[in-house]
Amino acid sequence: MMTSKKLTVQEQLKNAPKTWLTKLAVIAVIGTLLWIAKDYVIYRGLTETGLRVARNIFVSIFTPNTSILFNMTSRNGVPFLLLETAAIAFLGTLIGTILSIPIAFLSSRNIVPKWIASIGVSLIVVIRTFPAVVYGLMFIRVTGPGAFTGVLTLSIASIGMVAKLFIEVIEDLDPGIIESLDASGCNTIQKIQYGIVPQLMSNFASTAIYRFEINVKYATILGMVGAGGIGAPLIFAISAYRWNDVGALLIGLIVLVLVIEAISTRIRSKLATGE
Amino acid sequence: MDKVKRLLLPKPIVLSNGKSVQPKLSPMVYVIPIMGVLTYYSLSVTRFNIGTLIRRGEQFWIIVDRMIPPNFAYFSNIYTPMIATIMMSVVGTLIGAILALPAAYASSQTMNQSNVGRTITKWVSSVLRTLPVLVLALIFRIIFGPGAFAGMVAIAVFTFTIMTKMFFELIDTADMGPFEAILSSGATRIQAFWSSIMPQLWGQYYSLVLYNFEMNIRNAAILGYVGAGGIGILLNERLAWRIYPDVGLILLVLMITVLIIENISRFIRKKLL
Amino acid sequence: MIQFQGVTKTYPNGVSALRGIDLHINQGEFVAIIGLSGAGKSTLIRTINQMIKISSGSLLVNNIDVTKLKGKKLRRFRRDIGMVFQSFNLIKRTTVIKNVLAARVADMPFYKSMLGLYSKQDRIIALEALDQVGILEKAYTRADQLSGGQQQRVALARCVAQQPQIILADEPVASLDPVTSNQVMSDFVKINKELNITVIANMHHVDIALKYARRVIGIKEGLIVFDGPSTEITNEKLKQIYGRELSDDELMGEE
Repeated sequence: MMTSKKLTVQEQLKNAPKTWLTKLAVIAVIGTLLWIAKDYVIYRGLTETGLRVARNIFVSIFTPNTSILFNMTSRNGVPFLLLETAAIAFLGTLIGTILSIPIAFLSSRNIVPKWIASIGVSLIVVIRTFPAVVYGLMFIRVTGPGAFTGVLTLSIASIGMVAKLFIEVIEDLDPGIIESLDASGCNTIQKIQYGIVPQLMSNFASTAIYRFEINVKYATILGMVGAGGIGAPLIFAISAYRWNDVGALLIGLIVLVLVIEAISTRIRSKLATGE
Repeated sequence: MDKVKRLLLPKPIVLSNGKSVQPKLSPMVYVIPIMGVLTYYSLSVTRFNIGTLIRRGEQFWIIVDRMIPPNFAYFSNIYTPMIATIMMSVVGTLIGAILALPAAYASSQTMNQSNVGRTITKWVSSVLRTLPVLVLALIFRIIFGPGAFAGMVAIAVFTFTIMTKMFFELIDTADMGPFEAILSSGATRIQAFWSSIMPQLWGQYYSLVLYNFEMNIRNAAILGYVGAGGIGILLNERLAWRIYPDVGLILLVLMITVLIIENISRFIRKKLL
Repeated sequence: MIQFQGVTKTYPNGVSALRGIDLHINQGEFVAIIGLSGAGKSTLIRTINQMIKISSGSLLVNNIDVTKLKGKKLRRFRRDIGMVFQSFNLIKRTTVIKNVLAARVADMPFYKSMLGLYSKQDRIIALEALDQVGILEKAYTRADQLSGGQQQRVALARCVAQQPQIILADEPVASLDPVTSNQVMSDFVKINKELNITVIANMHHVDIALKYARRVIGIKEGLIVFDGPSTEITNEKLKQIYGRELSDDELMGEE
């Protein structure tokens, strides 16, 4: 047990690992980045109206324009805009998920040969790189402004994340279950039905719901580029300094996102624990 | 009637000892109708029109086609805004991540003993978290004027809200044993947090910062749309003017930048965990 | 010197953990507290450093009424009392030396503890503490790479680095095997003798308690039912404390 030569406190003090070297390197990298940044991110003070705008936005949340906040009939009322936003997110997620399923299977290394899978994975990487708004700006030139464009945008933008997570689930499939079904003489359809679907369903559903939550947030932005939902009225109201309308729209947006988040978290935790 | 019942309720399984077990109702029984109804209404609310897509769909590929080959001569114009985009993300992520530490402490059930204080911090950060980064950028553009500073502030606020939530959940699951030990040695709660909880979480904290940084590069690329600096201004302008080869180059440079940063970040994150 | 007088503790959920404790412990004693789990052992030692507040009675440590201590004064008082736990309570992901140094943060200005700027003197104190428990060579190893016995020694070193007058140990060897238990207990004895630090330890294993402690306190349902030298403990007395024969798991067995 005992070492022949006894280590002394003084010796051990000198043996301290030089962690400061890594620390210094990290500080140097961050310092350099900040040094570069100071020429690009420049503080030019507040605008003349800046403080007043900040105060107005804050106050607006407590003094919303109730006539649009509770207007159930008009297409410009907050309830309809929220419905439209949620509908865009819902359809975008649905279509994106449906498109993702074949793409994911064709990109999984345990289903198709490696070279085919790597083509699929590259495609997904490329789709993931671009923010949803970029697709929005392109689709507007295809199908014109409106909610329909929002749906198309989110369908494509969803593929990047959904397909990527699907692949992870597919590649984690337990081959043992399929083998044992093979042994018990199941045909291909039965193998998919009893061997693959049960393993995938809850994971796929959970991913799709999570993406829906994200898409609701995106759908609120897409309106800003003209792709439907609550974003467009919000950007107009802010730009025109119509603070009471801003308040009503922000309240709607906050409630929508919080409600969807709560529902999504609840369903996903149920799925995770197995109904 | 029997047939419908059979369809909805799976057949009872008869066990060898003669007892019969009724398998649980398949969740599809209610999931499919609900999804059907939601889809129907969503289609009508969004005025979903497959005809338009079929008629105009090829336009998308025409645009993509015109982006190739990209106009490489345009590179000198996008160099500066691209660096600005990265710098907005660097500074914004750093500021947001640092501010998120005390906020996460204040939101944590195990650390903050004041119920009132905790509830207030939690609510403020969840409400802020619902605001999309583009909305924040627009508001800060009006407050600070156009340019990268407004975008940086928007990214800082956005990062702050996300990091606060992700990190306080980590604090709540940290091992409290060392905390009790340091507290019993006469340290304040904050000292004990810093010297016993944080050493457990630094790896995950840095990993979260990098993850947010990856996300923020993409976010920063669009902030120019509302005048909050970065590459987004040019992207929007070139798209509006339909100069697609320039758009092609912007997208290509953006893609390469994102991929490089993502790979560096993933490399470091793997080493951290 | 620690003086309990009619100390009671009732938890908010109505459980009476201590029901009138009178106790006197002198500086430099080695005391083992035995009794069934739930008898109030943990509560008793945690009242000494006020990690648990008492409900009534008086509790003096070195003639200071500790129940009145608050904020800064309470933290100053706690610095003189080290604590060791059954589950070691080390920061597993970090090095041994950093675990020991964590005991020094209470003495440091906040900005220094925030930046982890430990003085050379603090480092020497930490290393000497590690030397005292015989694991100096492990100073720069990650805590989770050590065996259970070594981890408990790190925890003990963390206590010693605090330079306390009293060490409270909450079942310090309950999750260790017999051989390492005896080694760790020997370390406690060594520190108790060499540094004249009072050691008060809750013990799950009665044979270990009797072997190392000079004084034994038996607790039953929040009351002291035995208090005397370990040599005076008989089977009869144990039956009185436990209300039954000892079970196998309450004896560590031979080394």
